[in-house]
Amino acid sequence: MPERPGATTRSGPGRLLVAVYALFALAAGARAGVQIGTKFSEAPVAYLLSAVAAVIYVLATVALALGGRTSRRIAVAACSVELLGVLVVGTLSLVDASAFPDATVWSGFGRGYGFVPLVLPVIGLVWLRRTSRTDGTAAAGVAASSDSSEDAPHTA
Amino acid sequence: MTTTLGYAIIAVSLLAAAYSLWTAWRDQAMQVPHLVALGVLEVLLVTQAVVGFLKLSGGEGPHSSATFVGYLLAILLIPPAGAGWGLLERSRYGPGVIVVACLAVAIMIVRMNQIWTGTHA
Repeated sequence: MPERPGATTRSGPGRLLVAVYALFALAAGARAGVQIGTKFSEAPVAYLLSAVAAVIYVLATVALALGGRTSRRIAVAACSVELLGVLVVGTLSLVDASAFPDATVWSGFGRGYGFVPLVLPVIGLVWLRRTSRTDGTAAAGVAASSDSSEDAPHTA
Repeated sequence: MTTTLGYAIIAVSLLAAAYSLWTAWRDQAMQVPHLVALGVLEVLLVTQAVVGFLKLSGGEGPHSSATFVGYLLAILLIPPAGAGWGLLERSRYGPGVIVVACLAVAIMIVRMNQIWTGTHA
């Protein structure tokens, strides 16, 4: 069982989730930094979007790693905005390619990153929901079936 | 960017990823061999950074070098971060973190090669 409320979003499989989020925070941040630092005037909207994406990934990483009650809310918000962002930017980048002359992490639904940006927020939200059931910080709904799954946190 | 060094880094990172996956599969936490593998990887990456900067200052490399320099430096963070984060988890998910970190390094090296040779838009 989880040791204490709040620790669960970063332990077990959550350790992997935070690692992948940290990678994307690094990737999006570095990309935004290079774009804004060297050629901001070419496509300010796309580059600002890159920066927004980076901030959201950083927020999600830190919030999932901390895993307290407030962090949990921030993580849910960050993952939701991230999912919305990847869907909206992904669609726009395909419909109106001229508005996105240079790629962001979310262009083409994260095609340049193996579509991980599309899947990541969904996994994040599922994980937040699952851990909120097991550690009891949120009102538990139907908990019975989820715990038997192979993804349940193991302790060595 | 030297091709030999690039291949060496990819080989080491994939081997470390495979080893970590195997230990995760066997439900073991991180041990000394994981740290040694990450250490070797980090040494290779530091060497690559030095060689990369030397070559860039010699006028070789991509037309706009900012992205390449970004990769060159950002990739140095991954093995230590993976080691630290993985060590905090005393379960199979510790080596799991190392799998993620090592695969990321391998992918980044492939991208750096593309940027260096200009085959990446």
